[in-house]
Amino acid sequence: MKAARLLRWYPRAWRERYGEELLALIQDTLDEGRPTWRLRLGVISGGLRERAHEAGQAVRAAINPRSGPNLWAKVLVAGTTVALLPQNLSESPSPARGWQAVAAFDAVLAAVALTGAVVVAGGLAALPALVRFLQAGGWPKIRRRVAWAAGATVAAGGGLAALVLVVDSRSPGQLDASWVYLVGWLATGLAIAVAIGLWATAAAATAGHLALVPRVRAVQLVLGAVAAPLVTLVLVTLNLWWSATQSAVWLVAVPVFLGSASVDAWQRVPRAVRRGGRLRAAASGTTIINPSAQRTHGRHRA
Amino acid sequence: MNLNVGSSGLRRANDPPLLILVSLADGPKHGHALAKDIEDFAGVKLGPGALYGAITRLVERGLIEPLGGDDRRRPYQITPPGSAALAGALADMRRITRAGANRLGLDPA
Repeated sequence: MKAARLLRWYPRAWRERYGEELLALIQDTLDEGRPTWRLRLGVISGGLRERAHEAGQAVRAAINPRSGPNLWAKVLVAGTTVALLPQNLSESPSPARGWQAVAAFDAVLAAVALTGAVVVAGGLAALPALVRFLQAGGWPKIRRRVAWAAGATVAAGGGLAALVLVVDSRSPGQLDASWVYLVGWLATGLAIAVAIGLWATAAAATAGHLALVPRVRAVQLVLGAVAAPLVTLVLVTLNLWWSATQSAVWLVAVPVFLGSASVDAWQRVPRAVRRGGRLRAAASGTTIINPSAQRTHGRHRA
Repeated sequence: MNLNVGSSGLRRANDPPLLILVSLADGPKHGHALAKDIEDFAGVKLGPGALYGAITRLVERGLIEPLGGDDRRRPYQITPPGSAALAGALADMRRITRAGANRLGLDPA
């Protein structure tokens, strides 16, 4: 039995931290003449438990009761909304609603541009640290997450392209009556939501590896706090646009989205500004902040 | 019998985390020494998978911590919170043992 092969049952992070120790213990145990089948089963079940534990932690982090459900609901709504765009853009509004539709569409574009600018600014602020991380050989640490996110993006893009083709070849009435279009829209919306979620988790995981100067960390805190209400703003403007181009019923969703943003989301901005200030003040002696190194998680200890 | 020991977070007398804490109470040990010691004082054979699963949880909870040295046979030591958790678990067990002994009419000493 090759003991090293048994380690494959464990998550990669666990192997990097405990793998050599476990191999040494397996070797010591084998030297005592213990039955290998029992040892093998024990190690395999231990690996499966670690994988289950890791998955459980990821799920708990994703559905953080403080902000998780709200955030992931928004991601799902954003995904299905983007999947609706081919049909929305192909339908022309009634003449009576012409100027409202144009104004609402401009509001959507402005909200999307503003949100995108905030996200891009956050990324640019971390770009030097990202380059240093990659030059130091960090790519293998984030490769798998980025590959999954890229794969989901390709799948979502393919679904969106297919929807565009279908919308171009059918009338609105035919689309409304087609269950194939409905399934395609739901699948594409889900794929887009998954892609957004995977990119978000890949970005968060990458950020954990970066050594950021306190000033950049403070800027990112504020940008992150601003981004959440901006996503709500995008959804609200989309509802206003739908209400102008399709039916006023969509106006009902506006207070729902505004409610989902909650007062807390707007309180995060001044809170983030204060935290950023404290961060910079506390960093007068130390100039590098690494979020992952700040955790009191045992596996990060020397 | 399942002894639910709530206050310390350690559940049963033969729980691997509890056995590891007891073993480390008299000094640091690496994995193999831990397994041998636990087999000696508790008669429980912990396989490598079970032992390192418990070590991982205890490290995460800050109840034990690794010491420097040989990476392949890294020793672990109990931390002050680990000592407190162990003391709490033992006190809970003592209380349950006393209650059981009283009800059976045995000498609690």
